[in-house]
Amino acid sequence: MTRWQDIHGMLGAMDLFRNQMNSLFNEFDRSHGYGQSWEIAETSPRTNLSDTGDNLELIAELPGVNREELTVKIQGNYLEISGSRRADAPEGYTVHRAERPAATFSRSFTLPYEVDAAKVTATLKDGLLTMTLPKSEAAKPRQISIQ
Amino acid sequence: MNENQVVARKEQPAELVRQLPVIAPAVDILENESEILLHADLPGVLRDDIAIHIDNGKMTLSGTRRLRMTGAATWREFAEVEFRRTFAVPQSIDVDKIHADLKDGVLRLHLPKSESAKPRQIEITAG
Repeated sequence: MTRWQDIHGMLGAMDLFRNQMNSLFNEFDRSHGYGQSWEIAETSPRTNLSDTGDNLELIAELPGVNREELTVKIQGNYLEISGSRRADAPEGYTVHRAERPAATFSRSFTLPYEVDAAKVTATLKDGLLTMTLPKSEAAKPRQISIQ
Repeated sequence: MNENQVVARKEQPAELVRQLPVIAPAVDILENESEILLHADLPGVLRDDIAIHIDNGKMTLSGTRRLRMTGAATWREFAEVEFRRTFAVPQSIDVDKIHADLKDGVLRLHLPKSESAKPRQIEITAG
């Protein structure tokens, strides 16, 4: 059990390192800003994950996505965000430039902790999906009283 | 102004904005007979943080994204940025009638063509 947690912690550290490296590379190939890392597909939404102690907070960039077209699945420490963005070009227009394709996307994550799926809240506003994921009781930090 | 005052001067908000990394937003540019329509992805940008500046045939679109950062970062794939991009605007655009709306992080900017620039059917009279 301890060994597993060590490995998990190590993988977490590696993820953080990889993200730091990605942001480093993003500085170089910033074609129209969204310098994509090699791992994240063009259509996958980019995310930030924070740990606030009792909760995990996930923010995803989803410009132009409607609430009805977005699906979030959670099971234990597995999280999946999927959906689609409709073409928003009105009829009868000539296209000069198209950098925002209509697309379906799907991205899944292994969260660092199990979360209480029943208490998760999600809001979609201004093109950002913000989710608050309360950690399950067993995963919450605990104050230990010293005898 | 003595030296102490110079040291004590605080940074103005406008200067802080300039420190943000600048990235160009993805855009679609569409045109029909009466207008040019520009759609830009500005996820997380609020209406009041968007500035559209037109001068000398150039339009600069700028939107600042502020993020509420809490807790310890497990991973970060995007940050506070200024979305900024400059476009050439044809003379035929009626600058006074440009209007825009922002919804779900997408800016829709309408650039109407002036009446004289719209295509016109010319009647040929029998002579």
